[in-house]
Amino acid sequence: MTTAILNQATIPASKHEYADIIHRLEAGGSMLPDTPENLMQIIGIYKAYAVPMDFYWRDLLYIAERVFLDPFPFFKYFLPQEYLDLHNHYAGDDADLRIWRGPATAHPELLAFMEKGETFKMPRLFHHLWHDRINMEFAEACMRAMLWHRHMYAPVNQFDAYLDSDEYRANADRAIRAYFKYNPVMLGLYQLFPEMFLEQCRQMSYYANLGLFWEVMAPVFFEMSDLYDEGGFKGVPDAMNFLVNGIFAIAGRPIYHHAYIRGECYEIIPKSKGFTWLYEAALPYVEAVFYRTAPFRGTKSYNAQAKQVPDDQKDFHYGILYADVFPVGTAGIPPTLLMQDMLHFLPPYLVEYYQQHCRGEDDVLIQLGISFQRSMYNVTSAVIQALRTALLYPLDDPNPRHLMANRQFFEAQMDRFNRPEARLRMIQNQDYR
Amino acid sequence: MLSLLIWLPIFGALLVALWPGKATTGSIRWVALAIATLTLLWTGFLMARFDFELAGLQMQETLPWIDALGLTYGLGIDGLSLPLLALNSFLIWIVIFGTNAQIARPRLFYSLVLIVSGAIAGAFLAQNLLLFVLFYELELIPLYLMIAVWGGAKRDYAAMKFLLYTAVSGVLVLVGFLGITWLSGSSSFDYNAVSPSDLPLTVQLILLTLILIGFGIKTPLVPLHTWLPDAYVEASPPVAILLGGILAKLGTYGLVRFGLQLFPESWSLVSPGLAIIGVFSVLYGALTAISQRDIKRMVAYSSIGHMGYVLVACAAGTELSLLGAIGQMVSHGLILAVLFYLVGVIETKVGTRDLDVLNGLLNPVRGLPMVSALLILAGMASAGIPGLVGFIAEFLVFQGSFPVFPVAALLCVLASGLTAVYFVILLNRTCFGKLNNATAYYPRVTWLEQAPALILVAIICFLGVQPSWLLRWSEPTAAALISTLPPGSTQTIAQSPSPGQP
Repeated sequence: MTTAILNQATIPASKHEYADIIHRLEAGGSMLPDTPENLMQIIGIYKAYAVPMDFYWRDLLYIAERVFLDPFPFFKYFLPQEYLDLHNHYAGDDADLRIWRGPATAHPELLAFMEKGETFKMPRLFHHLWHDRINMEFAEACMRAMLWHRHMYAPVNQFDAYLDSDEYRANADRAIRAYFKYNPVMLGLYQLFPEMFLEQCRQMSYYANLGLFWEVMAPVFFEMSDLYDEGGFKGVPDAMNFLVNGIFAIAGRPIYHHAYIRGECYEIIPKSKGFTWLYEAALPYVEAVFYRTAPFRGTKSYNAQAKQVPDDQKDFHYGILYADVFPVGTAGIPPTLLMQDMLHFLPPYLVEYYQQHCRGEDDVLIQLGISFQRSMYNVTSAVIQALRTALLYPLDDPNPRHLMANRQFFEAQMDRFNRPEARLRMIQNQDYR
Repeated sequence: MLSLLIWLPIFGALLVALWPGKATTGSIRWVALAIATLTLLWTGFLMARFDFELAGLQMQETLPWIDALGLTYGLGIDGLSLPLLALNSFLIWIVIFGTNAQIARPRLFYSLVLIVSGAIAGAFLAQNLLLFVLFYELELIPLYLMIAVWGGAKRDYAAMKFLLYTAVSGVLVLVGFLGITWLSGSSSFDYNAVSPSDLPLTVQLILLTLILIGFGIKTPLVPLHTWLPDAYVEASPPVAILLGGILAKLGTYGLVRFGLQLFPESWSLVSPGLAIIGVFSVLYGALTAISQRDIKRMVAYSSIGHMGYVLVACAAGTELSLLGAIGQMVSHGLILAVLFYLVGVIETKVGTRDLDVLNGLLNPVRGLPMVSALLILAGMASAGIPGLVGFIAEFLVFQGSFPVFPVAALLCVLASGLTAVYFVILLNRTCFGKLNNATAYYPRVTWLEQAPALILVAIICFLGVQPSWLLRWSEPTAAALISTLPPGSTQTIAQSPSPGQP
C-alpha cells in the first residue's frame, strides 16, 4: 500500500482509458481485481489446466524427439511409458530447481484419467477412438500459432533466426538422413524437395520449444494450487508475484531440440546455442497464444474481400485475452478443446462454485472458460510485471522520471486492449461468468 | 359416444373448478391433464372405430331437445370433422401439458381450457344449425377471459377486440342460419332438414355472404383479420395455441360445412371472388410478416397467410383441393401450435420477442439449442419444405387449385416462397448469430418444457413422410362434398385422375 501512496503523490494520475488498472499495476497489483473469488477461480483453473498441460508437454516432447518426421504419425498421441515416467526438471527429488514438491513423473490424476477416462478401463486405443482423451490437438494448435507468428520478437528472439541458419539446416539434414536411412522413398523425396522436410523439422523444433515451455508451467501451476490449499496466497497479487518470481527463476533454462533416432541423439538445436526459456519460449508464447493466435473459423470470415482478418500479423487479436468465451462448445471455436480438457480436472471447490451460478453443471464449459480468461489475465499481468522489472524500474523507485517510464510502459501495454474485443474491462466485473 | 367428447371436458371443467385443495398446487393441473388425456384416448378410440371408406356421417346421436325452436341435440362425424376433432383433443392435451404449473389462478385457467375444448368439440360435432351456434358462441367468453386475465401488456384491448369481432361473427352466422331455415320453410334446424339450394339464387347469395363474412372473421380472411395479431400476440402461449391452432379451424370448418356444402350452386358463383380474397390473404399475411420485428407477430401473420390457402382450396372446389384444405387445417394447427409454444419458451427464457435483440440461440451451451432446432424444423414445416406436413397440405392445395384458378395457385406458390423468406429472417435473427455477452445468462430449458414441442414436431415429421395418416380419413368425404357441386368447370377437373394424390 505504501508504494501506491508514493506513486500517487509523485506523478499525476493517468488519463488512459484503463487508468484504474494502470494505477493498480503501479501499486504492484494485477490486471485482475484482487478478490477472494477471483483468487479461488484462477488457482482452481491453474490446477485444472496443469494436469492436461502435464500431458501436453510430455507429448510435445515425445513428438519432437521420437515421432519426428514420421509421415504417418498415427499414434503420436499415445505416450509411451518412458515419457510418462520422464522426470520433470522442476519437480521431484532430482529436480534442477524444485518448484513443485510433488513427484517428477506424470501427475497421478492424469494417469488415472488416461486409464479410465470418463468411461471405464479399456485399452488406450478405444479411449482414443471414443474421444475419451486429452485433446492434444489444442497443444498442437498453440505450437502452430507460435510457428506461424515467427519473428515476432526479432531481434531479441534468436530462435527464429536460427531456424533459418545454415547451421540449423546442416543439423536438420543429418537428422533427416538418419531418420529415413532405411526408407529410400522418403530419402528420394528429400532429395527432390528438401525444403518440405526442413519446414517439417522447424515445426518439430517448435514442438520441442512449446513442450519445454510447458514443462516449466505445469509444476508452477501445481505448486500454486498446493500453496493455495495450504493457505499460502493472501490475494491475487500474491499469486501474480509467485509467477513473476517463477519467471525469473526459470528464465535461463535452455531451449533446445534433440531428436532420438534409433538410440542416437541428434542435436538439431543444441543446448550450447544458449537459447533460454524467457526470450525464446515464454515471451513468444505469450505473444502468439495470449494475444494473437489465428482468427477462429467460427467467428471471423477469412474472405479476403470482407477484410475481417488483418493483413498484418501483428494486428491479430484472437488470443485468450480477446476471445469471446460464450460460443465455447460450438463449431469453429478452438478453445473448446482446452475447456473440455480442463473439465476433467476441476478441483471440487470450483465444481461447487460453478454449480451455484448460471446454468450450473450445464454451462460449466463456459464458466470455466471465463475463469480461464481471468487466470490468463493474471498470467499476462505477471509477464508485464516481469518485463517491467527486467527492463525498467522498481515500483517504489523514488525518482519520478523512472516512475513515468514505468507508467509509459504500462500504458503502452494497456493500449493493446484498446479494442472492443478485449475482455479486460469485462473481467473487472465479477458478474461476467 | 360422441357426446363424451363434449361432456367429458365440460364436466371435467366443473371437477377442476370444485377440486378440493389449494388452488396454487399442481394437483389441479394433474386433474385437468387426466381429463384431457381421457378425452384424447377417447378420440383415439373413435378414430379406430371410424370407417374411412364411408363418406357420410357416422356414429350419429340424436336427441330431441327444444322442439319449439327446432333445436335438436344431433351429433355426427365425417371425414371433415374427424381430423379437426382429433386436432382439438390433441392440442388441448398439449396446452394443458405445456402450461406452467406455476400459472396464476390455475383453477380458473384449466376450467376455461376444458370448457373451450368441449365447446369446440361440440361445434365440430353438431348436426343442428342452432346447436352449432350454441357451441360457437360458448367458446367466446372463456377465450375472452383467457386473453384478458393471462395475457400480455395490452391484453384488455386485445381481448375486447377479439370479443367484439367474434360476437359479430356469431351474430352474422346466426342470422344466416335463421335465414336458411325460415326462408326454406324448414321446421327444424337439423342440418339434413334444411335445403337452401331450393331458394332463389339471389337469396342464396345473400345468405352465403352473411355466412362467409361470419366465418371469415373467425378464420380470418384479410379485411376481417385485424383482431388476430392483437389477440394472438397478447395471449399467453397456451391461449395463443388454442386461438390459432383450434379456433381458427372453426372458421374454415364453417366455410366448408355451411358454405360449400349447403350452397353448392351459389358457391361456384362466389368462388372466383373467394379465390381472390384467399390469394390476397396469403400474400398479405406473408408480406406483413416480413415487415414484423416481433416474432410472435410474425407467427400470427403467418397464420393469416396459411388460412388463406384453405380459402383458395375451398374456392377451387376440386376433390384434391378440398382434401388439401382439410390437410392444411390440420397441418396449420400442428405447426402453429409448435411455433407459438416455442416462441413462448423463448420469451420466458430470454425475456424478449424482439428480433433486433434476440440472437445466437442455437449456442449449445448458453443458448436454447433444442428449442432453436425445433423452431427451425417448425419454420421449415410452415414454409412448406418437403418431408414435413406443411408441404403435403400445401402441395395438395396447389395441385388441386391450379386447374381451376391457375393464377391464384401460382400466387399461392409465390406466397409460399415468401413464407420461407420471413421464416429465414426469423430463424436467422433468432437462432443464428452470437449471444450478447452482457445479457445471455438465460435459464436452462428443462426436458418437461421441451416435451410438448418435441411431440408436436415428431408428429409433424411423421405426417410429412406418411401423409396417408393425415388424409385417409377425409378422402371419401371430400369426394362426396365435391359431388354435390353443380357440374361446371370444377366438376370436370374433379374427375380427372390426380397423380399427385398420395
